[in-house]
Amino acid sequence: MPTRNTSPAVRPGHLGRTVEGGKKERARHGAARRRGRSERLAPYVLIAPAVLIIVALRLYPLALGVNFSFTGDGEANGTAVGFANYLELLDDPLFQTALANVGLLVLLLPVAVAIPGLLATFIYLKVPGHRFFRSVYFFPAVLSPVIVGAIFNLMLAFDGPLNELLGTIGLGPVDWLGDPGVAKFAVVGVQIWATFGMALVVFLAGFATLDASLLDAARVDGASLRQSIWHVIIPSLSQTIQFVFVTTMIGMLTSMFGLLYVMTSGGPEGSTYLPEYYIWIQQGQMNRPALASAASTVLFLIMLVVGLLQISVLRRAGRED
Amino acid sequence: MRRLGKWVVAVPMAILALATIYPLIFTANVAMKTRREYVLDRFSLTESLHWENIATAWNSVGMARYFANSLFVVAASVFLLLWLGSMAGFALSRLPFRGSKALFIGCLAALFIPFQVIMVPLSRVMADTGLIDTYPGLILAYVAQFLPFTVFLMTSYYRSVPKEIVDAARIDGNTVYGVYRRIMVPIGRPALLSVGILDALFCWNDVLIALLMMPSADHRTLMVGVTSLRGQYTDNIPTFASGVLIAAVPVLLVYLFLQRQIADGVTAGSTKG
Repeated sequence: MPTRNTSPAVRPGHLGRTVEGGKKERARHGAARRRGRSERLAPYVLIAPAVLIIVALRLYPLALGVNFSFTGDGEANGTAVGFANYLELLDDPLFQTALANVGLLVLLLPVAVAIPGLLATFIYLKVPGHRFFRSVYFFPAVLSPVIVGAIFNLMLAFDGPLNELLGTIGLGPVDWLGDPGVAKFAVVGVQIWATFGMALVVFLAGFATLDASLLDAARVDGASLRQSIWHVIIPSLSQTIQFVFVTTMIGMLTSMFGLLYVMTSGGPEGSTYLPEYYIWIQQGQMNRPALASAASTVLFLIMLVVGLLQISVLRRAGRED
Repeated sequence: MRRLGKWVVAVPMAILALATIYPLIFTANVAMKTRREYVLDRFSLTESLHWENIATAWNSVGMARYFANSLFVVAASVFLLLWLGSMAGFALSRLPFRGSKALFIGCLAALFIPFQVIMVPLSRVMADTGLIDTYPGLILAYVAQFLPFTVFLMTSYYRSVPKEIVDAARIDGNTVYGVYRRIMVPIGRPALLSVGILDALFCWNDVLIALLMMPSADHRTLMVGVTSLRGQYTDNIPTFASGVLIAAVPVLLVYLFLQRQIADGVTAGSTKG
């Protein structure tokens, strides 16, 4: 066997040395038997760095966090306090608001899925300009929530362009980000604006697997667009729809921090809190890591429940058809 | 759909397209105005391009520094992600070994742990190891965050590579490492490109991890820098808009040229999952 194969195998040499150095040594001293062993170990060597990082910085912290959530903060640091943190959470009006807002997000979820679904249907049916629409709609999805939030800070300011526009048709002004009853809808609206393109692209990938002859057959039988969507498109795309439901919900629960941080800082009057923002405040501002860990655990459970619930509901709906 | 129906639908879709793109055009326009122009009429097209707003944001606000920080952190993170992710993906897809299936499932499970759930203990682990507020710490946090996704997509991609290619390369006398370097890396280029762009976008756009891992001011990434603009420039909207524009332009360029690859990466999970 050519020995040059045992020189550092990974092109970016300076970082490759730690992994490949040991192998080089081994091969130099080794006989054929040794070589066989190194080959057998190769899969483990290749996967070890990834596994180490995932275990040390994702799985271990998850366990550590659950453990934290049953200990105290401040003077009680490290001592077991049972469910005290969880009870405190349930008593905290800010956390209650955060949970209520999660409920609101769940209620708005069908809208956030239906909009891109409908738009994808039209694009699939080749509405004039469908290529252009596709690239324009997808584009906000690549922007950071921070950029989106900053842009909408300008657009939604009390003396900003949206109110000026409404003023010309005799409406408003609305205090988009300053009115507790309005701000949460404004933020969710911006979140949907920023992410519907992502779901749209996923839907279009689903459409690519759709059997076009089914739609043709429906049309020949005189089905209206609504009937085609209901009886052909939705059942055929149930996998994709499930995926979009789950990913949109996960997105709403875990990727709105940037928007909240830039647009409202949880205000006005704490009305735009979400669990992730609550965790950030308790950890970073209030120095209550154990309480924050309890909130993290609750968030994790919510995500688990929502994910499983949605999958089972959609499965049942799919079966009835 | 009938011909007329298509046009009826196209009109609201065009309005929506305008609503999608207008906020950015508005911001770019404001960035080029003087303060006076903005206060007098925020909608009018700027009379001349006031690039000095960009210069102010770039120099005196420190966007240049933040930009360089972001560039470095993103480049290092993406490099590590692709390297470790492709090695693991190769092993999981094309090398039979004990525990392979369990490791793949573990990796999938890690994909569903959001950062918010582990951020408190992770910041403590980083503090205990002295990695907090250091570049390696932030890079490691990004690698840990996006590695499960990278491994998952690389594994799926490598599963589509015919086994015969790997076998033939082995018969030709390549070691496993040789196969990785000479076959899997070049053959994986399309997937590496599309996963790499997505990883780069994720890291570039992140604010929560950077806020948590990099508390000191001159370690700020660009997105954290943009959040600090808001407090400093409430009365100088054109400079604020310029800062936002600086942070958005790299992403816009990537989008214009690599839209297809981004879409491929986003949808890969949906069709294979």
